[in-house]
Amino acid sequence: MLNFLKSTVGRKYIMGITGLIWMGFILGHMAGNMLIFLGPDAFNSYGHAIVSNKLLLYGTEIALILAIIGHVSSAISLTLENRSAKGSRYAVQAKGEKSTTWASRNMGAQGSAILAFIILHLITFKYGAHYQTTVNGVEMRDLHKLVLEVFTKPGYVAWYIVCLLLLLFHLSHGAHSVFQSFGILERKMQAPLKKFAWAYAVVVAGGFLSQPIYVFLVNR
Amino acid sequence: MSSVLDSKIPSGSIENKWKDNKFKMKLVNPANKRKHSVIVVGTGLAGASAAASLGELGYKVKAFCIHESPRRAHSVAAQGGINAAKNYQNDGDSIYRLFYDTIKGGDFRAREANVYRLAEASVSIIDQAVAQGVPLAREYGGLLSNRSFGGAQVSRTFYARGQTGQQLLYGAYQSMMRQVDLGQVELNTRREMLDLVVVDGKARGIIVRNLLTGEIESHSADCVILASGGYSNVFYLSTNAMACAVTAAWRAHKRGSYFANPCYTQIHPTCIPVHGENQSKLTLMSESLRNDGRVWASKLKGDLRRPEEIPDTERDYYLERIYPSFGNLAPRDVASRQAKFRVDEGHGAQGQEAVYLDFRDSIKRLGEDKISERYGNLFQMYEKITGENPYKSPMRIYPAPHYTMGGLWVDYNLMSTIPGLFVAGEANFSDHGANRLGASALMQGLADGYFVLPYTVGDYIANTQLKPVKDTDDAFKAGQDGVKSEIQKMLNIKGSRSVESIHKELGRIMWQDCGMSRNKAGLTSAIDKIANLRKEFWNDVRIPGVANEVNTEIEKAGRVADYLELGELMCRDALSREESCGGHFRDEYQVDGEAKRDDENFCHVAAWEWNGSADKAQTRHVEELKFENIKLATRSYK
Amino acid sequence: MSSDKKNINLRLKVWRQKNSQTEGSFEILDAKNVSPDASFLEMLDAVNEELIQKSKEPIVFDHDCREGICGSCGFMINGEAHGPQKGTTVCQLHMRNFSDGEELVLEPWRATAFPVIKDLMCDRSALDRIIRAGGYISVNTGNAQDANNLPIPKPDADEAFMSATCIGCGACVASCKNASAALFTSAKITHLALLPQGRVEADQRALDMVEQMDAEGFGACTTTGACSAACPKEISLINIAKMNREYLRASVTKKEELSGGGDG
Repeated sequence: MLNFLKSTVGRKYIMGITGLIWMGFILGHMAGNMLIFLGPDAFNSYGHAIVSNKLLLYGTEIALILAIIGHVSSAISLTLENRSAKGSRYAVQAKGEKSTTWASRNMGAQGSAILAFIILHLITFKYGAHYQTTVNGVEMRDLHKLVLEVFTKPGYVAWYIVCLLLLLFHLSHGAHSVFQSFGILERKMQAPLKKFAWAYAVVVAGGFLSQPIYVFLVNR
Repeated sequence: MSSVLDSKIPSGSIENKWKDNKFKMKLVNPANKRKHSVIVVGTGLAGASAAASLGELGYKVKAFCIHESPRRAHSVAAQGGINAAKNYQNDGDSIYRLFYDTIKGGDFRAREANVYRLAEASVSIIDQAVAQGVPLAREYGGLLSNRSFGGAQVSRTFYARGQTGQQLLYGAYQSMMRQVDLGQVELNTRREMLDLVVVDGKARGIIVRNLLTGEIESHSADCVILASGGYSNVFYLSTNAMACAVTAAWRAHKRGSYFANPCYTQIHPTCIPVHGENQSKLTLMSESLRNDGRVWASKLKGDLRRPEEIPDTERDYYLERIYPSFGNLAPRDVASRQAKFRVDEGHGAQGQEAVYLDFRDSIKRLGEDKISERYGNLFQMYEKITGENPYKSPMRIYPAPHYTMGGLWVDYNLMSTIPGLFVAGEANFSDHGANRLGASALMQGLADGYFVLPYTVGDYIANTQLKPVKDTDDAFKAGQDGVKSEIQKMLNIKGSRSVESIHKELGRIMWQDCGMSRNKAGLTSAIDKIANLRKEFWNDVRIPGVANEVNTEIEKAGRVADYLELGELMCRDALSREESCGGHFRDEYQVDGEAKRDDENFCHVAAWEWNGSADKAQTRHVEELKFENIKLATRSYK
Repeated sequence: MSSDKKNINLRLKVWRQKNSQTEGSFEILDAKNVSPDASFLEMLDAVNEELIQKSKEPIVFDHDCREGICGSCGFMINGEAHGPQKGTTVCQLHMRNFSDGEELVLEPWRATAFPVIKDLMCDRSALDRIIRAGGYISVNTGNAQDANNLPIPKPDADEAFMSATCIGCGACVASCKNASAALFTSAKITHLALLPQGRVEADQRALDMVEQMDAEGFGACTTTGACSAACPKEISLINIAKMNREYLRASVTKKEELSGGGDG
């Protein structure tokens, strides 16, 4: 099994499994955040429910941390190897039918930006200003207030939008590539899985995007 | 004429010759096999299958190929299929029928015993290939599919779409790579054999040039197998790959291996015609096209109209006219010759060297879909090369050199006139007589490599006193010196003509005078022209670069130098064979355009002995051919 | 042949490199009066003839059958492996696909595992070593049962054939930004794994071939699809998926070899 994990194929499985964990998480995260459209109480109660369930909270956090470590470390080691495998680059890039998509060629750059985004995102929200509120007599953190505060800053919203667009491309390729890496792609599944990957990416990135835009334009 | 050629055909009935012979052969003890080494030159079907099989038996095999990988060998390009007398179709095929068809197809100029053994081995080849994972075509029931090919009256051809050669080659190549992995075969790529080393009258090694470094290397062994392919590139334009050369065989010839029937060459009827001066090679299109395509030429001389504008009444469907029973499916040599006659008489397509292969009627009859299903990939290939759409206007085709039946003379055991030098596949002369049937080349290469050489090589080793030989011995040093000085000599000429231009000129002479039809006057003048061209080569060739690195011009020059000697021998062989048979057609010996064989005087193999220099005439030896099972008869396809 | 198009002139920017030890650079060469019916390699032949006339060394490139099946030829034309036409090797690419006055940049396959030998020629022997590691079925000559004793469903046989058509030209590696040999390796693993006679050794084969692929210094597949787009035989990416699956299964379920079981 150690050989498996050292091989290029094995590390692609790690990329895939860890990617899938995050794919599941961000879909849930996006759906939960949609509660912002229902107002501060719903949004804050949802947040409170999650942090109150310590098992769920820490379990998820550990899984996500392990997954991102696996994802990023595999990505870095594979990228370094891939660079040395390629050696020098061509003077001209393919343009015609034999060219590839921008998303697939730049997964590393997208991933790096997304990683930076995640870290900043945690600093801004998880470890950001701690406002208090009371909903139905229960004391809880007023995240809604923080969100409103942040999403009314044009600079932050712009950065957020750029990162989410990168996420869109990252997911559009990753959500398809994962099936390839796992070896569950068959001839007849090729086209539908590509469509699925795009649909997933659009739903996740679109959902996330709707929130700052809503706050910035409507609910300020 | 002398007869020093002992074919070593075993006695007994044709059915038992090989079986009995196999039993009589001496065996090499398994523990001793690893002490014996075998050199295999060439890793196409014959070479790779021999190297793999001998490696499996336990011999130490050293394999050499000119390419960067054995998978590049030109066997890869064979399209149509491979014959085998499996009779899976229950249509009356048998080993005897395949034997009969091959002898008749070869116009009674092949050895009965060899051909019978070939037909016997054909059956095992298919089993072997399938066991190796060669993806031959199958029916819905999961069993192997067959088609009828090259005018055969039974369906005995196994195929893998249009890539049968590729798939069979990969099967043999993979088997050989397995032996490489096991340490039984040592693979030497990008090496060109430039001399054979003979010690005490026995072949004991080779001199090769490392094509990457230019280094001249010596390699010794207990015996040498040549599987270096055919010599169609003597015509410059042929369907052969660019690196196909006579060099390995020719250098062995110069060391005493007789060259048999050099004039037997096969011209394939359905190739894409020449487009211009810069053309480097010709592309063959599968013969299967003639199953639904009709071949015609304009009845008018010098007709420059586009083919679609020529009405049916002005078209000459000449194969259907001359050969009503075989029609468009007449054998290769016959179909090729008739196309040449049309063009010579001025009926070429729009004044060019081509005739039409027309699908108009079958598209009308079967629909474009059906035709596309059958020949889609071929039509696509044609369009890619010519830029014309064969669904709309007829294809233009013209014959092109494709295969050479002649080659180094070998006895029944595939051993040449030099003891310890075995020759397999297209490089030998043995099984196809004066004309090869479609789908038989793959069969012969693999039969030699898988099922003949593993026995006969063992028998030779077991029966022969082989004194130890090192690749540092004098004979090897002398061989190296000879090769080095010849290369240096060529480099020093620094003349004005490129190797390519001389090769092209040789090709034109050969095609003109020693091609689809030959005559005394043409051949005599060709011999002079070639001798002059050879002189010009050695006085005026220009080879840029140096010897001790990659230098493709040195490689080509050596090959062309050999073609300049072989070309002359082909003409001499054609001149001395005063009859027409198979691919050898002499204008003087015909009855209304049909070949007239002379069994009384020429029912023999001609094998030529080198006499020390290109300027000295070679000696013609004969091996009489006896037909004890199949009666000599005139081939007729009318 | 009877093409109505006129002859064209091209400007070639060709990679020239003396050998693997020296640095290479581009040389500008003109290809004049090129027939649209000529193949790309025939165009280069003519350029080479001119170079030889000037006592210069011709451009070196690998080539042999010139009918798209031997896999010898291949280089980059304007960043595309085998040039712009899909499903085509460079020897089958014809000049009618180019227009007068175009500039074409010709570069060798670039990958650390494919060192440049000279000009446009590189060393692809790594591919042979991958086959050598396990790309075969272990059957000795004479060891086979009757071919029709083993029926194989036609769809499996056809799929195996599609994978087996790989000509080993290396365009997949060359076009991949990671220089991955996954398409090449997977095509052979898939071809043999689909057939019952190849199943017996499928696990060991997958392990050995992937290990060799990695050892040769090829990169990892990141599913850009460049390989399949460049492949002259248009071999599908699903081969790579199948290889991954074979490799995972083999890694998880591989049986331990028992000592003393082999030789009786």
